[in-house]
Amino acid sequence: MSKEKRSHKAQKVIERMGKKLNRQVVGSLVACVHCGNCTDSCHYVLANPGDPTYAPAYKADRIRKFFKAHYDWTGRVFPAWVGAKSLYTDEDLEELKDTVFGKCTNCRRCTINCPMGVDYATFNRMARGLLVSVGVMPEGVAVVSKDQWEIGNQMGVLKEDYLDTLEWMSEELQGELEDPNAGIPIDKEDADIVYSINPREVKYDPRTIADAAKIFHQAGANWTMPSEGWDMTNFGLFSGDDDLGGAVARRLYEKVSELRGKKLVISECGHGYRSTRCEGQNWAQWDIDFVMESSVITMLNYIKEGRIKVDKTRNTTPVTFHDSCNNARSCGLTEEPRELLKLVCTDFREMYPNRAENYCCTGGGGAMSMSEYTPRRLKSAKIKADQLAATGAKIVVTSCHNCVDGLADCIKHYKLGMEVTQLVNLVANALVIEKKVTVPVAEPIAASDLQGRRILVTDDEPDFVTFVSTVLEDNGATVFRAYNAAEAMEIARREKPDLITLDISMPDKDGSEVFADIREDDILKRIPVCIITGQPELRKLIYDKPHRPPEGFVSKPVTEDGLLLNVKKLLKVAHHQPEGVRKQ
Amino acid sequence: MPTFTHGDVSIEVDEDGFMEDPESWNEEIAKALATTEGVEELSEEHWKLVNYLRDYWLKFGIAPMIRKLCKETGFPLKKVYELFPSGPAKGACKVAGLSKPTGCV
Repeated sequence: MSKEKRSHKAQKVIERMGKKLNRQVVGSLVACVHCGNCTDSCHYVLANPGDPTYAPAYKADRIRKFFKAHYDWTGRVFPAWVGAKSLYTDEDLEELKDTVFGKCTNCRRCTINCPMGVDYATFNRMARGLLVSVGVMPEGVAVVSKDQWEIGNQMGVLKEDYLDTLEWMSEELQGELEDPNAGIPIDKEDADIVYSINPREVKYDPRTIADAAKIFHQAGANWTMPSEGWDMTNFGLFSGDDDLGGAVARRLYEKVSELRGKKLVISECGHGYRSTRCEGQNWAQWDIDFVMESSVITMLNYIKEGRIKVDKTRNTTPVTFHDSCNNARSCGLTEEPRELLKLVCTDFREMYPNRAENYCCTGGGGAMSMSEYTPRRLKSAKIKADQLAATGAKIVVTSCHNCVDGLADCIKHYKLGMEVTQLVNLVANALVIEKKVTVPVAEPIAASDLQGRRILVTDDEPDFVTFVSTVLEDNGATVFRAYNAAEAMEIARREKPDLITLDISMPDKDGSEVFADIREDDILKRIPVCIITGQPELRKLIYDKPHRPPEGFVSKPVTEDGLLLNVKKLLKVAHHQPEGVRKQ
Repeated sequence: MPTFTHGDVSIEVDEDGFMEDPESWNEEIAKALATTEGVEELSEEHWKLVNYLRDYWLKFGIAPMIRKLCKETGFPLKKVYELFPSGPAKGACKVAGLSKPTGCV
């Protein structure tokens, strides 16, 4: 066991371990009695029942053995008895890497099932940090850490690109709401809320940014997004590198302080929430004088305080909720997302087990960035797949971006046919946007030709639904609004309207399929259908169906008069154009 | 190293199904990879998007921001998700023969 026989890297790992041994780590390293309670709690074990190397106690012993050999008296007195064994070669380190990065997602499910209180994930993270300090880590972890150190965010997004994207989302929102004030304020000082995000939102999928902006705008929030220090994710949590963790967290804290923001709101990201709100202050050695909150709580409070109005009937597809390990097990965020879900969805189905007992999405702990372990990850995802399938839900909602990707992979691999979404998307979809009254002139009385007519309007663009509904309602019709295929079918079956208008491209199901469903339904097939589409070239989709063609086909853009003319024709109502009705 | 085979195409891919040797990409490979992303046939619009990604990647060595992609191709965000249901990072980049994007995706 002489120093000479040990590789330089192994020597450094052992030396540096001494600095990482705090009470929590040592308590967990010495307390294990090998009772085996942790075994059944790990999704890796459950998916690999014949392989004991996945058992948390076994994995923990890979770290425990060199702790015992160097830092624990039992290892010095009777090394063989307590399994003390040092690390010698670089191959030993590679083996350790395979365990700590490739066989555990640090989800901490074994921790809450340990009668001795052993927090395996804590020292698994410590071991990751020791390996990272000598350059032994999966390539993905190295690349992402480098971007976070050097460029300031984990996807290497440049400042001008970030700002350009926010401007783009501002413009989209202004267009959608027809309100020039609906943008995203940048670097506004003394704001009540500074909103931080995950770089994947800005790089690949900014719909969540637009949705959040819409909610803040509707709530009349005094909010801003920072031009720098906006990445609330933190690869320090995954790599075990406390220095990186501190540097990343500090960037956020400093920016909020500089802007004199009152509250830092963290978008739906499990590890980002834990790193920024719970761990970052220790890593960064930084005291903060503002509040930190998950956007889930912000949105929930807006509804409870009446600052935004939501209509849950816009989200009728059955949903279930997946608790992220960092949110639920490490930060106790379990009830608020459920409360919020029940306010914005009509059909919520619990997943079992749930809350702190939920199984990992299998993409946690940075696993999504470590391609070399993907086959293992997908094999262990069988547990998650069974859990998801048992809910019978069509959509799984989660407040974590890592879980979004982990679950999406699991769903694809096991062909579950489910969608993954986040609360912000559902809240934005359910948002009731009060139409501004611009012309307070009373409509002529003659505009009641459609009195008593019941019309279902279907389109995934809320603005368009509002426009059509307003025109029809102004003419006396009773209107039902559907924003997707599932809602349309549900309302059609329930209300049996006199006319259905249908968009062709919709996110959940193509309008042509909805059309086919209507025509194949014994009761609904009698109802006239009017297709209103911005893509008239897709008419083939409809007319190629072996059904009676639709009664009406209107191309967007639609004028008020054109719409009324068509609707009245279909309902066989005489069309009088009342005087004073403004032509578009 | 896993091998991905579809029809006459046989290429080495990483564990997430992204090309190991992005240089050897061609249209046949793109068509084959598209089948793994729920895209059975590549339309003209698909090609526009894939070719843009490809050109950008050859020039800069990284995947473009979605903002650039939409601006240059003229597709609204929604359209990108219609064309590639698994999104630009996983779906479109894979078909365009890029390496797997880094980070939480």
